[in-house]
This record gives sequence, structure tokens and C-alpha cells, in this order.
Amino acid sequence: MRSRVDLRRLAEGMARAAVFAALAVALWRASRTDGGGTSTIAAASRMVDRAITSALSAPTVVALDISADAGMSHWQRDALAALRRAGVVVRWQGAQPPLAMEAVRDREPEARARLMVIGAATSAVVLADSASVIDTVRTADATVDVGTLVGAVRAALGSYAAQTQAPDVTPRRAVMVLGRASWESKFVMAALSEAGWTVRGRIPAAPNVAVSDEFLMPLDTARYDVVVMLDSSSADLAGGIARFVAQGGGLVAVGEASWVRVLSGLLPAQAGERRPGRILLADDTVTPPDLPVRPLRGLRRDALALDGERGRVTLAARRAGLGRVLSVGYDDSWRWRMLGGESGKAAHRAWWSRAVGAVAPERADAAMRPNDDAAPRAALINALGSDSRLGTKGVQASVEPTPLPLLVVLVLALLAEVASRRFRGAR
Amino acid sequence: MFATAQYDSGDWDSAPLVPANLIDTIARYTSIDVAPSGVIVPLASPSLFRYPLIYLTGHLPVRFGEAERANLAKYAARGGLLLVDDHNHDIDGVFHKTANEELSRVYGPIRPIPNTHPLYTTFFVFEDGPPTTTHELNGWGDNLVHKTLSGVERDGRLALLYSSKDYSSEWNYHPENKRFQSVDNTRFAVNIVVYALTR
Repeated sequence: MRSRVDLRRLAEGMARAAVFAALAVALWRASRTDGGGTSTIAAASRMVDRAITSALSAPTVVALDISADAGMSHWQRDALAALRRAGVVVRWQGAQPPLAMEAVRDREPEARARLMVIGAATSAVVLADSASVIDTVRTADATVDVGTLVGAVRAALGSYAAQTQAPDVTPRRAVMVLGRASWESKFVMAALSEAGWTVRGRIPAAPNVAVSDEFLMPLDTARYDVVVMLDSSSADLAGGIARFVAQGGGLVAVGEASWVRVLSGLLPAQAGERRPGRILLADDTVTPPDLPVRPLRGLRRDALALDGERGRVTLAARRAGLGRVLSVGYDDSWRWRMLGGESGKAAHRAWWSRAVGAVAPERADAAMRPNDDAAPRAALINALGSDSRLGTKGVQASVEPTPLPLLVVLVLALLAEVASRRFRGAR
Repeated sequence: MFATAQYDSGDWDSAPLVPANLIDTIARYTSIDVAPSGVIVPLASPSLFRYPLIYLTGHLPVRFGEAERANLAKYAARGGLLLVDDHNHDIDGVFHKTANEELSRVYGPIRPIPNTHPLYTTFFVFEDGPPTTTHELNGWGDNLVHKTLSGVERDGRLALLYSSKDYSSEWNYHPENKRFQSVDNTRFAVNIVVYALTR
């Protein structure tokens, strides 16, 4: 039978063993983690892929610190956002430049792409598509028209880049031009034809006599994109035109066309009385401000004034039903073409094509393409929050200290062992 | 506004009653807004571009100056229509030869217009093409009938319409005298004007 002293020594030995065991566990944890059983990974942009892989494979990783010294791909951002949602703290910092771009395509037959870039004004932004460099811009806000694009288009600022893709070109449907036999009718039709539109017209030349295309009717959105009313001579078609607009067709109403009562509910504004254009000297050339004009009045609250000067509106638009309507205050735009100098014809053609395209139905697939990365900095902030230097806290890392029970066991065992030995006179 | 071309050479004003007569015809048959009197516009003047349809005629040899040629080329490019009528009705007369040479330098080759062209059906219907004139049939007893008109198209539209039929003689009378005709011989002018305004 063991004596009390033996039992006491046994207890001291067990306490000592417990202390060593607790110290061993603490040492093991310290050697394996950053001191608390979890770890933080710091990575530069070029190492982000490896950091993401590590975070996915090691559950002890609780934080990622990304030094964003270059652009990140959208899938890298998505993976980091997913880790963040899974509880991993993801912080980033770095000088991501404010660079964004958009590629749109005119709703016109010879649909040119328009690249709009916003970037740092001091640095050169290089625009390129899959084939070659397109242009270099150095302004904070630039628009570049491009005839042909191959594949995706990139705006690169050093090692950062925004990337997007222009919508596909979609075939346009016909345009119906309605107006009296006049130079305006002739040259509007000519301008639209030259711009690639299929133009069908109905041009009254005498009572009950109209010059019109074969198969002009019916007027529906399967055959036509837009109706251009140059005056009130086709008031008999107003009901059909209103129905056409409600179903998604476009309407350009010029001058006194806005006086047709059936259409007044659709139009953004009414045309006023005609004011003569500028008196021209022999060698003068004509631009739109020189043309006779019917200032638009009674602009509806949901209409948008697009053009005008000296307080008079000459161009306004609004949505009506599923369609769009444009009111034009200019009269006799043909003078711009004939008297507009060397560029008059092209400018007149482009203006009319753009006006018709502005109200033509959108038929292109405007959905976001999977490879689009049009605004990388905005997407990064959207996915991961702001730069951590700006005070973004995100989710603080749950860095675990040495577990409290282990510490209590260690201290109590050590105190018990020392006290026991001292009370029995041992050293 | 009916405009008559004035050019440096030849006799551009050989048919002074045509403008008033055609203005009367347009007002009589159509609802087209038409100014009550015509204008005369020099071919070399920038004012040419104010009139997208210009009438040019004469008997005598035609030689354009550089400014006239340059202006006409721009006029054609911008969509203007030049109506040229040989005030003689002969074949290979001096006006015809020289005007064709000059116009070809500006417009390129001048070709016959088929008698199925919309010009002949755009208002009145002329199934046999351009109407013959009394001067062609028996005016000087030579019965030289030109079967077609000629012209040059740009972007699918006539930029030059050339006639050897002597409409300038046919239409050169006071409008009041239409009442003496069983069939108005200026009706084809309506087709030309309506075509110019609608195509």
C-alpha cells in the first residue's frame, strides 16, 4: 500500500507531465501557425493565383492581403469575392487607376462602333482590338469612332486594362419617308439611302396623286424601323403611325408634322411658327443654326431636349409606348447639304442617319459578355471593398490566441506541482 | 423656284418664255409650292446650289470656264439635277457636239435613258418614252425624231438629263396659249420636276 508521500509525489509527477504536455501542445501550435492556429497570406498581383489556390486548399488561412500592383482578371476577383463570402478576410491595396470603357454600336446600317474611355488624363491610354492598335488617347474622357472591330477591344494604361466587346451589327429594317414633293423630301431620302438605309417613300405631288414605292404598306415593325414625317401631308396615316410607335417603331416628326392631332400625344414637343434662317451672302456656307427653324414649345415633362441655342429647343425626344419619338425643329435641311460647303453633304447624311438611328428599335443583344471587364477598378471595389489603406475593415481575422483551457491547465498544474513540493519541504 | 442657267459662252437665254410656261404648268397640275417667277443663275456662282434643278439651253457652241466646270461637278456630287435641252433639233449640231463634250468632262459618259425609266411614269404616263415635239416631226421638214433622252446617274438618281428634242422651242410660248392646244405639250415638264423632287 502506497503512503501519502508516494501519492503526493505521483500527483506532482502528473502535474509536471501536464505542464510539459501543455507546453508541448502550445509549441506545436506555434510552430504550425502564425501563433493562433490560423494564417494570413500576403501576395502581389502576379501571385494572386497561387494565394487563391492556397486559401482554397488550407482551411487555416483566414486572411489574404493582396498588393494590387497590376490589374486582376475578373475570375481572380470573383474567386476572392467567393473566399470573402466564405469567411476569409480579403484586403487589397494598390494604385488601381480609374480606367473604364464602353463600346456601343450605332443603330444604323453602316453601324460604326463608338468606344468611350474614361481614364487618367495625364497618361496615354492605348486602344486596341484583337487585330491591332486602334488609337492612343490622353484625355480624361475620350470617344473614338471605329468602322471595324475584330474581337474584344482593350483600353490599356500601363499594366492595367479594361476590356469589352462591341455589340454585333444587326440588319436594319426600312425607313418610310412621308412628305410633300419638295427638295426636303428628295434630299432626306437621298441622305438616308446614301447612309445605307432602305428607304420607301410616299410623296404627294397633287390631290390624289402620290409618288410612292411599290409595297409601301402595311406599316408595321416587321417591315419598318422608323417613319419620318417631314410635314402634315400624310395625316391620313397618323392612326397607323401611332400604332406603329406603340409597338416599338420609331418616329421622326419634322416641323408641322407635330400639328397632326392624332400624333400630338406621342410627341415630345410641338413645333412653333417658322422663323427664317440666316440671310446668306454669296459665298456663305450653311450649318444647322443657319437653317429656318420652328422652335419646339410645350416640352413634355418626360421629354429630353437634345439640341437648341439661345433658349430655343430644336430637337427633343421621348419614349412613347414601346417606341421612341424625335421632334425636329429644323426646316429645309436640304440647304445644309447643297450649301454646306465641302463637308455639307456628308454632315447632312450623317445627321439624318443618326436622327433615324436614335429612334430605331434596339435589336442587338445587349447582354453583358462573360469576358467583359469594362471597369476593372469599379469591379474590384464592388467585389472586395475599397483599398484597405482607406480604412476598410472588412471582416477582422479571427486570429485565435492559445486556447484558454490549455492555459488554465498549464498554470494550475504548475502552481499545484510547485506548491506541493514546497509544502513537503522539497526544493 | 425655276432656275435657268447662265453660262459665259453661247446663247443661254434663247428660250425666255419657257420658265414662265413651266411654272404655270406645275401650278396647274400639281400641289407643289412654286415661286411665281423664275431666276437666272450663273453656272459659276455659289448661288447655283440654292436651286437643285437647273435648266440649260442654247443654239450656239458651248464652252464652260474652269469655274463653271468646278461648280457643276460639285452641284452633281451634292445631288443637283441639270436639265439640258438642245435648242436645235438636229443631229450632231454645234450645240449638241460641244455641250456633250463639256458635260462629259464634268459628268462622265452620257448614255441613253431607257424609255422604261421612272421619269416617264412618275406623274403622267408616257409609254413610248419622251414625247416627240412638233419641231422634230415637221418643224423644218426633216422628221428627225430622237427616240430617247440621255443622261448620267449618280447614286441611282439622274444628275444630268440631256435632251436633243428641242423642248425649248416646243415650250417657248406664253402660258395663256395653252388653251389653243388639244393636249398640253408641257405635261412632260411635270414629270421632270416631280422626278427631281421625289427621287
